[in-house]
Amino acid sequence: MLEGYFDAMGKLAVSQAIGASIWIYPTIQALHLVFLALLAGSILIVDLRLLGFGMTSQPVSQVAKDARPWMIIGLIGMVCTGVPQLMQNATREYFSEFFWYKMYLVAFGLIVMVTVRRKATQAAETTMFGKIVGVVSMATWAAVTINARLIGLFT
Amino acid sequence: MAEFMKPLHDVFLWVSEIPSSVAIRESLYVSPWLTVSHVISMCLFAGLIVMMDLRLLGIGNMRTPFSELQRRLFPWQMLGMGLSSVTGLTLAFSDPMRFYVNIFFWTKMLVMVVAGINAMAFHFITYNSVVEWDSAATTPFGARLSGALSILLWAIVIVSGRLIPYNWFQT
Repeated sequence: MLEGYFDAMGKLAVSQAIGASIWIYPTIQALHLVFLALLAGSILIVDLRLLGFGMTSQPVSQVAKDARPWMIIGLIGMVCTGVPQLMQNATREYFSEFFWYKMYLVAFGLIVMVTVRRKATQAAETTMFGKIVGVVSMATWAAVTINARLIGLFT
Repeated sequence: MAEFMKPLHDVFLWVSEIPSSVAIRESLYVSPWLTVSHVISMCLFAGLIVMMDLRLLGIGNMRTPFSELQRRLFPWQMLGMGLSSVTGLTLAFSDPMRFYVNIFFWTKMLVMVVAGINAMAFHFITYNSVVEWDSAATTPFGARLSGALSILLWAIVIVSGRLIPYNWFQT
């Protein structure tokens, strides 16, 4: 059902432009990784705290609140560098199972982030609930990263 | 090839002929999974380094004293560094000649050394006065310089690593 849509996306002038110049796509790929470092750090510092590691001298809510703006910048950066890559490789990624696993996991990760993780990070201290949320969050975003890397390696 | 490069070239060539190097290189799955592990390790290391550097720059995590951030994140940063190094060294070991001719590989190695020097300089100079600025609203110039350099240098390391597969400057 979506194949035609992906095909059309790949044929857009802007998608062709990304692929036309030899350095645009690699630059976008590289920036995607730089934003990944920022996003990973802002998520990990909180998830580690939820598990009872890392910044244990600070309240959970403080660690989370201080990391949040950087997490948002990271997410925006990932989307801004991710969408152009998708547009340039639209049809190839449509047929990649890893691309779809990644997208489902991103959606799941975001849902966890704005629901249970938000709840868990409002507390001053972590609970069993917080620890489970921390594990689920870390596992989900690790799985996103793994699948993302596999897209390029196994198509 | 310049004569002074020959010993280095020969070491890389010798490693490339070790049976386990060949085995990893020819395996369908080991290299991809090494790369995947390398990226995950990078996230742990670089991510927590950035969180700490934002504090040095005075723009992030300001409600936590710097020494607290440094002390508590350090073990996890070192775990990330350890995993990145093991996976990275194994990757280089598996295909030395591919990396030997790659300018981005050497750039990455050099910039990592510079990043290490930056960290040492901060630790042995600026950090000595940490008690004065640990909970202050602004950090001293040395701290801000070190934080900015750290983010910039590790970003260059990441970019260089990502560009290794592109054979642009090879004859």
